[in-house]
Amino acid sequence: MRESIGSNVRSHCVGTTAVVYASDYLNKLTGERIEHECKKQLDSGARALVIDFSDTELVNSIGISILLGIIDIAEKSGALVVFSDVNDKIVQLFDMLGLTLHVVLAKDEQEALSGLSSLLTQTRSIGH
Amino acid sequence: MNQNPHQEIRQVLGRVKRDEFIGRATELQKLVSHAMRAKGFEGAGRPGRARGLLMLLAPLAGVSELLRQAYDELFNQREVVPIYFALPQTETTAVSAAIEFLNTFLLQYIAYRRGEPSLCRLSLTLNDLVQLAPAGDLPWIEELIEAYNLQRFGKDDRELVRFCLTAPNRVPASNGRPFVMFDAVQLANYLDSAVPLATEIVRALLFSNLPFALAGLRREVLDAVACAGGNFGSLELMRLESLKDDEARDLVVSAASRHQVAINEETRDLMVQQFEGSPFFITAMLQAAHERNLTLDSYLACERLYVDELMGGRLNRYFSSVLEHLAPETETRAAVIRLLCEAVPTGSRTSSLEAWRKRLNLDSIEAEQLLRALHIQELINWDGQTVDATGSSSLWKDYLKSRFRLDALREPRALVVADVMADALKRAPQTIARHYRKSAGLRLRGLLDKFNFQLVPKRLFDSAEFASSYKGATAEEIAAGLDADTELLRLPQVFHTASGVSFSPELRQFGEESSVVAHAFEGGNYTDANEIVWLVAKVDSKLEADRNVTATWLDRLESLARQSGFSRAQTWLIANEGFSAEATELLRERNAYGSSQQQFELLSDRLTDAAAALQQSVEANEFTLILPMGGDNELLAATTVEQLARRLNFSPEAINQIKTAVVEACINAAEHSLSPDQKIYQRFRVESDKLVITISSRGIVPANIQGHIEERQREQLRHEDNGEDTEQRRGWGLKLIKTLMDEVEFERVDEGTSLRMTKYLRKAS
Repeated sequence: MRESIGSNVRSHCVGTTAVVYASDYLNKLTGERIEHECKKQLDSGARALVIDFSDTELVNSIGISILLGIIDIAEKSGALVVFSDVNDKIVQLFDMLGLTLHVVLAKDEQEALSGLSSLLTQTRSIGH
Repeated sequence: MNQNPHQEIRQVLGRVKRDEFIGRATELQKLVSHAMRAKGFEGAGRPGRARGLLMLLAPLAGVSELLRQAYDELFNQREVVPIYFALPQTETTAVSAAIEFLNTFLLQYIAYRRGEPSLCRLSLTLNDLVQLAPAGDLPWIEELIEAYNLQRFGKDDRELVRFCLTAPNRVPASNGRPFVMFDAVQLANYLDSAVPLATEIVRALLFSNLPFALAGLRREVLDAVACAGGNFGSLELMRLESLKDDEARDLVVSAASRHQVAINEETRDLMVQQFEGSPFFITAMLQAAHERNLTLDSYLACERLYVDELMGGRLNRYFSSVLEHLAPETETRAAVIRLLCEAVPTGSRTSSLEAWRKRLNLDSIEAEQLLRALHIQELINWDGQTVDATGSSSLWKDYLKSRFRLDALREPRALVVADVMADALKRAPQTIARHYRKSAGLRLRGLLDKFNFQLVPKRLFDSAEFASSYKGATAEEIAAGLDADTELLRLPQVFHTASGVSFSPELRQFGEESSVVAHAFEGGNYTDANEIVWLVAKVDSKLEADRNVTATWLDRLESLARQSGFSRAQTWLIANEGFSAEATELLRERNAYGSSQQQFELLSDRLTDAAAALQQSVEANEFTLILPMGGDNELLAATTVEQLARRLNFSPEAINQIKTAVVEACINAAEHSLSPDQKIYQRFRVESDKLVITISSRGIVPANIQGHIEERQREQLRHEDNGEDTEQRRGWGLKLIKTLMDEVEFERVDEGTSLRMTKYLRKAS
């Protein structure tokens, strides 16, 4: 497992899954940093992204639109995206803007990783 | 000002007790506050504070008692040394008036310093005053009088006038700070004086270090200040008009009680209207009734006394004195009376200076001086070229007419008295009826002025629909129904109202105030497309207005709109009992609104409430936060609103919704305006059941955003953001706000945007 803090975005990789940590306030600036980090991870061969919201207290609409952009990019790369540890208030916002239709929510990072692990294994075996 | 209003104020110069002084409470407070504020001045020119107060009077608005009452209050408070001086009516040279000022100043100063108000009412010589001066003041007073004696026997009158008028400046700062209240209502009587008294008074006041109030006829005082080179920016202005109806009614009742004159409500209202709210005329009439031991409990008694006073009593003396000062020469005076008298009945609104000059047989300068004097007294309007003599009061016209018939036509006095009396009696009920119609008309215009983009139930503009919903309902049920009504009408912002008669003289037959033309703007900004004219008429109909009456009124108003070239118009008829089914059908066919008087009243209440609520919001429970745009400053707003929402016991979920909405609104404000100050203005109003948040910013809203806002305003923020790409997703802020908050509305502002959001407190069940 390697960890990096590029442009103040904390992330680490578990196999082919990249875990990226969102900050306490997800706005344009922090959203773009996450987007940059996710792109970098996808370019480096990540097959799945976990965006962890355990520190996140507030999200604005620009931040959400960037998250949708990340989902689009991941889809185009054939990668999976899971959001972990999203508090109820933010889930409510994601619901309002239809974000939850496009992404899987996991209780925490561990659940996200284990879910992805089995999913990626299945995908790989189907692929073989 | 810490004076307890109920505390007894010792009468010094006031001629009536404080509780009998009616109708100028606000002005009195302002005047006293001005003096008290000014007590802290050390030297002229402290920035941001006006040292001088100009009191601009409409003729007969009355100011002397106001100044005397202020004097008494200041005398009792003992913070500043009040000085009240009224230019004498009888002394008409600048020198005599200035010497009188010096004497009055010293008398009042010494009375104040000795704490002996009774001294103010004595007539004392300068030598007497020196004897009475307190020891601490003796040196400067003796020096002043010595210097005065030198000036007095000099040859320069102007120097002497200046010396006297600037005497208050000689008071040592440690001995008190004089506040001069100069009553210059009689200034017009000094026009012929060799020394320009008006200029000298203004200069003496303006160029001293002391605070002052200068009161005089508005047209004259403004001229005098301009001539003396005064800077209006450094002066506070107070405009004194005739009393408002309710104040004038109180004055009539109070003066009648003081003079023990019996009146009734009808004669009280007649006096208010006939004497046009003038404290002078009202008081004069009641004093005359007292002296003659008369009761004023019928129109006949009132008009009989009025005519007596006009022909030979106080009113006559007042008007005669004005005329004699204006035109001392008998021949000129007779010519003025004839010219003024002739100007009224012919209806010719204007005549030229040259025509007046010829008729008066005066040279140009004399004619101009006379016209200027008439203009100052507001007996005519003169713009330097044309003379308009039609706008003066009906009392003045009665006086002129009687003088003309007696002096020029040599008609028998008994005949003139009988005719004036008959005219007055015939006019009395018309005066009252006109007042009632005018009040109703003014209510209509007042209501239109309050529209101001407010949202109201549309049902208030459709009498049939209103009747079908609320017939037989109680007032509470109607109010609750209207509160819950979701079909709303956004009213325009009215910027000008005028009687329909001003546009179509044929409407005069229905009364000056029965129709109103209101120019307005709809939508968020002032554009051609948003301009609209509301044409409103009160239909005279005891029962429901029928189709014929309705059609006639619609034709009239639509014709007015066509003739006036109004490109967009909205007609609105109001009938006491609403409109019949056929009339309603017609109103709908012609896209007109129709309301009953009940709907009108309900609308009036709702708009009044909105204005009162707005006022209340400014005063209490409102927090303001101004943040620079940029950074994560919206988080500061979110934190602030979180604290406020907690105080109101909003649930954690609701608090988060409010915070998110505030963040979104701040982002919108920052993104959507080319803001010159780069600031976001936030107002948080806490009410018992809701939190109202207004986020605004200055700047020019880009056209595409403006269109977006207007669309939102029209369609009440309907959901429309279903785009998929990122740019479209960026329009989500407003959608989120709308979803998170209970009410969301763009307020109309002149510049930038202002978004108002409301969240209601829902108690946990």
